[in-house]
Amino acid sequence: MRTLKAVVLEAIILAIAGLLFALAANALSPRGLRLARNYFPAAPVMHTNTAASAHAPDSLAERLQQWGLQLATSNEVSQLFRDPGYEQGLIVFVDARNDHAYQSGHVPGAWQLDRYRPEGYLPTVLPMCLSAQKVVVYCNGGACEDSELAAVMLRDAGIPAGNILVYSGGISEWTNGLPFEIGARGSGQIIEPKR
Amino acid sequence: MITATAETPPVVRHRAANVVVVAGRWLLGAVFIYMGLNKALHPVEFLKLVRQYNVTDHYLLLNLVASALPWFEIFCGLLLVLGIAVRGTALLLVAMLVPFTIVIVQRALGIQHARGIPFCAIKFDCGCGAGEVLICRKLLENTLLIAVAASLVFWRQHIAAVRPCLFRAHAA
Repeated sequence: MRTLKAVVLEAIILAIAGLLFALAANALSPRGLRLARNYFPAAPVMHTNTAASAHAPDSLAERLQQWGLQLATSNEVSQLFRDPGYEQGLIVFVDARNDHAYQSGHVPGAWQLDRYRPEGYLPTVLPMCLSAQKVVVYCNGGACEDSELAAVMLRDAGIPAGNILVYSGGISEWTNGLPFEIGARGSGQIIEPKR
Repeated sequence: MITATAETPPVVRHRAANVVVVAGRWLLGAVFIYMGLNKALHPVEFLKLVRQYNVTDHYLLLNLVASALPWFEIFCGLLLVLGIAVRGTALLLVAMLVPFTIVIVQRALGIQHARGIPFCAIKFDCGCGAGEVLICRKLLENTLLIAVAASLVFWRQHIAAVRPCLFRAHAA
């Protein structure tokens, strides 16, 4: 019995020491998470006219509407990409994925904004978005939420919500029929889609 | 090669058992270091996976789990490999593995209910540090890990260890 108590006590001491070690390691790690940052802000509660009750929006379109943002279809982003305004910086594409994903393939000329580590990206991306008339934000597509939340981050940083479009098809849809760039932005390594 | 038979002296059998326990301890420690490192190197991906369990909506709690758990696993793995406070560490691992396994089963049942596919055909990234795995394989692995950790809790004499216990009380 005495032995068991000692083992339990040992486990409790280790749990405390381990937690302190873990928090210190996370704080020192360049990839560590920020404990106080809300990485997944919830969409505002939706108030409907037909019912007195309020509910959290379920679909992406509903959530974007609550944020004051708009959804963009594949055709719309394709047209924006071919628009002369894209070359002039009046239309900006923002890739909301991490370095590895971005380097593997992004919309040619898209700016990267890793929303989990915005400090390194916002100072470059924000001026581009502020001077643009349309900002298209995308991530992987499918269930990926990063484009939606990066768009919210841009809106909160001062980009007019009406200028921001979220491309839900993401890079997986884009690479099915449109050219993409690998490596760094402006690397010139453009991959044409297979026909 | 040592084989435990009726004629094998108790000392030899005990020595063989000690070797098996040390191997199990090193294996368990190495698994936790490997799994922990995989998560610690990709904390954002782990954070997203933790969120999918819908255990909590509170961002502070979510961040705490996603940032601390990988390093905590590495800490426990290192202690086991080095042989420091072995029984206490093993008890901690049992206390972590059992609830993790329950949560994984709950999530798998949710997926089964939603997709209507056989339980063992369910494959998803449980956030364990090894990518997508079949649920039945994961459960088998976890059962094995729990068994090894539990056996370390009850084994009293740990060899090849820097400091097997923090207190003398359970050394004997």
